[in-house]
Amino acid sequence: MTLTARRPKSHGALEASLDDAAQRPAVRYEARHITKAFGGALALSDVSVAFEPGEIHTLCGENGAGKSTLLKVMAGIHQPDDGEIVLGGETLHALTPRSAQLRGIYLVPQEPTLMANLSALENLFVGILPRGRLRFTVDWKQMERSAGEFFSQVGLEIDPREPASTLSIAQQQLLECARALAHRCNIIFFDEPTSPLTAREADVLFAVMRQLRERQFTLGFISHRLDEVLEISDRITVLRDSRLVTEMTAAGASRDAIVSAMVGHDIAQRQRPHREISTQPTVLELRGLSHPPEFSDVSFTVGRGEVVGLAGLVGSGRTEIAEAIFGLRPSQGTVLLDGKPFAHRSPHRSVVAGLIYLPEDRGHNGVFANVQLTRNITAAVIPKLQRAGPLLLPAEEREMAERAAERTRVVAPSLEAPMSSLSGGNQQRAMFSRWLLAQPRVAIFDEPTRGVDVGAKEDIYKIIDEISASGIAVLMISSELEELVFVCDRVIAIYEGRPVAEVVGDEITLERLGTLIVGEQAK
Amino acid sequence: MTAVSQSLGRAPARPGTRAPRSSALRRFVRRRELLLVIITVAVFLITDAVNSGFGTGGYISFMLADAMPLAILAVGQTIVCLVRGIDLSVAGVLGMVAVSTGFLAQDHGASVWLMLPLALGMGIGLGVINGLFVVFARIPPIIVTLGTLIVYQGVQELICASRAVETLPPMYAKLGNDNFLPDIPYMLVPGVLVTVVVALILWRTAWGRSLYAVGSNAEAAFRAGIRVKWVLISAYTVCGMLAGLGGLAFLVHYDSADSQSGLSTSINLSSIAAALIGGTLLTGGKGGVVGSFIAALFLEVTIQAVIVLGVPQVWDQAAVGTLLLAAILVNRYQASGRSLSQALAGPLRSRWQPGHGGAQ
Amino acid sequence: MFSLVFILVVELLFFNFAVSSFWGGGWGSSVSMLGDGENFLFTSMIALGVMFVIFAGDIDLSVGAMSGFAGVMMAEFHLGGMNIWVAVVLAVAIAALIGLIQGLIITYFKLESLLVTLAGWFILQSAALAWEGAVPPYGFPKHFDSLLGTGTVAGTVPNQLVIFAILALLATLIVHRTRFGRQLVLVGHNRDAAGYAGVRVSVTRIRAFVLSATFAGIAGMCIAATYSTADDNLGPTLLLPAITAVVLGGVDIFGGAGLVPGVIVASFILGWLTPGLLQDGVSDTWASIAIGVLLLGSLTVKGITDRRQGVSMLDRLRARSATATPGAPPPAPDAT
Repeated sequence: MTLTARRPKSHGALEASLDDAAQRPAVRYEARHITKAFGGALALSDVSVAFEPGEIHTLCGENGAGKSTLLKVMAGIHQPDDGEIVLGGETLHALTPRSAQLRGIYLVPQEPTLMANLSALENLFVGILPRGRLRFTVDWKQMERSAGEFFSQVGLEIDPREPASTLSIAQQQLLECARALAHRCNIIFFDEPTSPLTAREADVLFAVMRQLRERQFTLGFISHRLDEVLEISDRITVLRDSRLVTEMTAAGASRDAIVSAMVGHDIAQRQRPHREISTQPTVLELRGLSHPPEFSDVSFTVGRGEVVGLAGLVGSGRTEIAEAIFGLRPSQGTVLLDGKPFAHRSPHRSVVAGLIYLPEDRGHNGVFANVQLTRNITAAVIPKLQRAGPLLLPAEEREMAERAAERTRVVAPSLEAPMSSLSGGNQQRAMFSRWLLAQPRVAIFDEPTRGVDVGAKEDIYKIIDEISASGIAVLMISSELEELVFVCDRVIAIYEGRPVAEVVGDEITLERLGTLIVGEQAK
Repeated sequence: MTAVSQSLGRAPARPGTRAPRSSALRRFVRRRELLLVIITVAVFLITDAVNSGFGTGGYISFMLADAMPLAILAVGQTIVCLVRGIDLSVAGVLGMVAVSTGFLAQDHGASVWLMLPLALGMGIGLGVINGLFVVFARIPPIIVTLGTLIVYQGVQELICASRAVETLPPMYAKLGNDNFLPDIPYMLVPGVLVTVVVALILWRTAWGRSLYAVGSNAEAAFRAGIRVKWVLISAYTVCGMLAGLGGLAFLVHYDSADSQSGLSTSINLSSIAAALIGGTLLTGGKGGVVGSFIAALFLEVTIQAVIVLGVPQVWDQAAVGTLLLAAILVNRYQASGRSLSQALAGPLRSRWQPGHGGAQ
Repeated sequence: MFSLVFILVVELLFFNFAVSSFWGGGWGSSVSMLGDGENFLFTSMIALGVMFVIFAGDIDLSVGAMSGFAGVMMAEFHLGGMNIWVAVVLAVAIAALIGLIQGLIITYFKLESLLVTLAGWFILQSAALAWEGAVPPYGFPKHFDSLLGTGTVAGTVPNQLVIFAILALLATLIVHRTRFGRQLVLVGHNRDAAGYAGVRVSVTRIRAFVLSATFAGIAGMCIAATYSTADDNLGPTLLLPAITAVVLGGVDIFGGAGLVPGVIVASFILGWLTPGLLQDGVSDTWASIAIGVLLLGSLTVKGITDRRQGVSMLDRLRARSATATPGAPPPAPDAT
């Protein structure tokens, strides 16, 4: 990712009112034939989308389909490898977040990037502080006056002087909206804003969006929640696997149409293998695991050699559940291993007891980037490494790591290469070998194929199969329904922190899961 | 999901709750500065009750003057802490300036007013060096200023060349220890002036606000168009400048200087302690110079109280250490967002918890 | 690491040619010069100790004051009638205990190690001063002075060098060849990932603080033996040179990366630097300036090579913003 380091021109005195933003002419903002790849993985492939003024245009698609990347490209955060971006007929070159803002384009990010210690008021105007009589002074009174207007336009009722850290997620998002308005932007993109929101909070956001639409703003929106999408959108574009699949108007849209576009009719690529319904003894059991509001009343079992999937939307609480089992989060309720209550209090205890967790964010929480592959693989079994007296035996350790790496077919320049030199897929394989070495009884995998290219995905499914075949109980969290369908014996759908249904065997289909995770209890 | 964005600290457990509306008065009362003033006055009164010599005009005036070099240094340190940095070289700058101006005064009878721009200029130059290393050489501030501290102290020794500054024109002692109003020493003026001016700058200028922005979230600041490199370099420069001023103040107050000046009185770390006690966080983005100024006074009064109350002077450093510990505990509780009653109920859980909880 | 050896070789060559008496008395005299390099050995012992903490991504500013305090403690025990060797063991044990307390405070309350150990420095400094009273205790048995202080093996190798060698060997083995060392380094590289991998992060960090305090305590014993008195003064001034040795030795101040032999070589570089320059007629002030310049210079070179490898300003900003504390390790960069 590159950012042009040129210094943008200063903004001058801020004329502060909503009308001012609307005074920017309503424009059409389009992406033409955009292609973007990260490393080896293709995120966007020849995608062309146009955003019209006075419209809410929603992008739909599964995780990794490319929706977020497209908006980021159009907001200057990423540079496209190919294609162009056209604003009102004018092609934009080398867009940066700052230059995009100067042109009236604002992206409300998925996670608000505000400054925690500064007041909401100041966050609103960072970078464009209204100046006082002397050019270098700041005019707080002007700020407060204008802020009041912007806040009320987005329905944000807060004390502007309180630090931004005291705001709830919903309020932070509204603050980002207000920021967009303060920057005189009339093209506003929302990157999956409703995931962390309750229905009521989402309604507030929608009210703001509708208002902006009335004023001929150009709006883009991403969401997984189909009822929302149908409610708010004027136009819907569906992406799948980095390509544009279809575009429809609100009139012509229906849930089925969207779902089938999202998942694709060519499911035939991977047939779900027939799996026997497991009769193995239960290894992991949860009873009433709760930690409101993230999740509550979670009860299910995983048997020896079973692969149980947790399906749900982003923000539905699945990772929180996994973290609670692993001991990272406090929770009420019971966890039983092999029938015996297990005090799930710390990751160390869990690993010692044979319960392991492969976290979703491999980059931050799993991998030691600058450490060699060997050490990454043996990281979880350090207490069990062979020793002569108190001293470790590096040769034996290397051998152990080598064997583990072979089991998962890790490809690397050498065993001593730093982890960061491996591709995403190979890093993930290395993570699997790390956990295999630990000889767990229960393995929780959170988004096991995230950041992994297609070829490696197949391999990882095979690895998961092998793992379960060896008797390990597997709990798998994934946002890719296709994966769950292909790999799991049973799938439990989680909606807003609660399990809503359990689907077994051949009942596990994309359509079934797709409706369950949005809260529909289809029969 | 971008790995880049920084989550904003814990959102309250129930989304949708409104942030509490607080009046300006309540916000004022919650401020650290007020707390410090109250504690300082309390310590003063208690000590005075025990030993009435404490409350005499002469002693008060002495304490005020004595605290000023530290206060000035603490203000500079605060600026650097705001951008998530630290400056260990302030003692070196102080020492270098003290002996340089001292010798000029001793050998050539230079007046204080002439030495003032020299002190500031030296401080600026020495501070810029820190800033350049931090920004362009990519070395963490703690190491950079460690290195420059060593160098500056060495230069200080070289300048002294086994001499010391012992006899200064009488103007220096007068400014250093006399009062211009009953019980108000001359020394108080630069301290208060510096604090007020810097406070205004931090509050009312774009540059000042950009310090907070960069310290809070440097990447977001960069995206918003703030010139982060320039902000960082200038922060260290200003800190150096103030350390230079502190050096002159030191010279004037102690009416002497030698190769050990600044080294022996632990003023280096006390400036950091004062900044922290005053409510500034080492992690940046939060704090203020008024708090640091009051904290410097607070430290002074406390240390003097410790002596007056009969505790052997050797314990004064331990007092600073304990106060520092207390201050960072308080900072920590404030940052965690708990109410006072929750905090008293039990210390924060010791179990390791990850910095980035899974974001499902 | 090899660059360090290179620097050492360059330095030795320089002294070889520039200073006539460097090798004059044979190999022996240059080695004993190490003992002359006044504080080198003490600094190096302390450096080895604080190195553990820095590997874990923390920092311990109290080590200097700890050695002073340990020395005073031991002396006072001895003055009070205790056998000197018992006093030594007890003092070091108490130092370790204090390190344990610091570690507990830091991990339990989740405070920054910089600040807690800073407070520790102040407190220990005072405690040492207070305990020793008006007159620093002095007068230790001759064998003590000799064994831990100024004595030599076979007339040339200072005892303290032997002690240092033992400590260095121990430190190398601990960091590079024990389970604890492995965990220590992983915690330094990425504290979160280490936790997810089942490492007991808090326990590991606390152990590092205990080690740091213990090494500082041992150094304190040697200092007391050398000067035959327990003064609180020398210890604190060794903190900065000790950290310099660690950083110069290639240990990343944010944790994780680095080799113990690097720190050992750096210690020798610094150790020979001052007496070598002194022999060359350079004042020791210039020597300390040289140390500062060496530190900044070597790290600048490292910073510039980082840039060439593509660690951009933005990456650094990201790392700085994302860590909770200034001393903590930045999260591993995006791996995809």
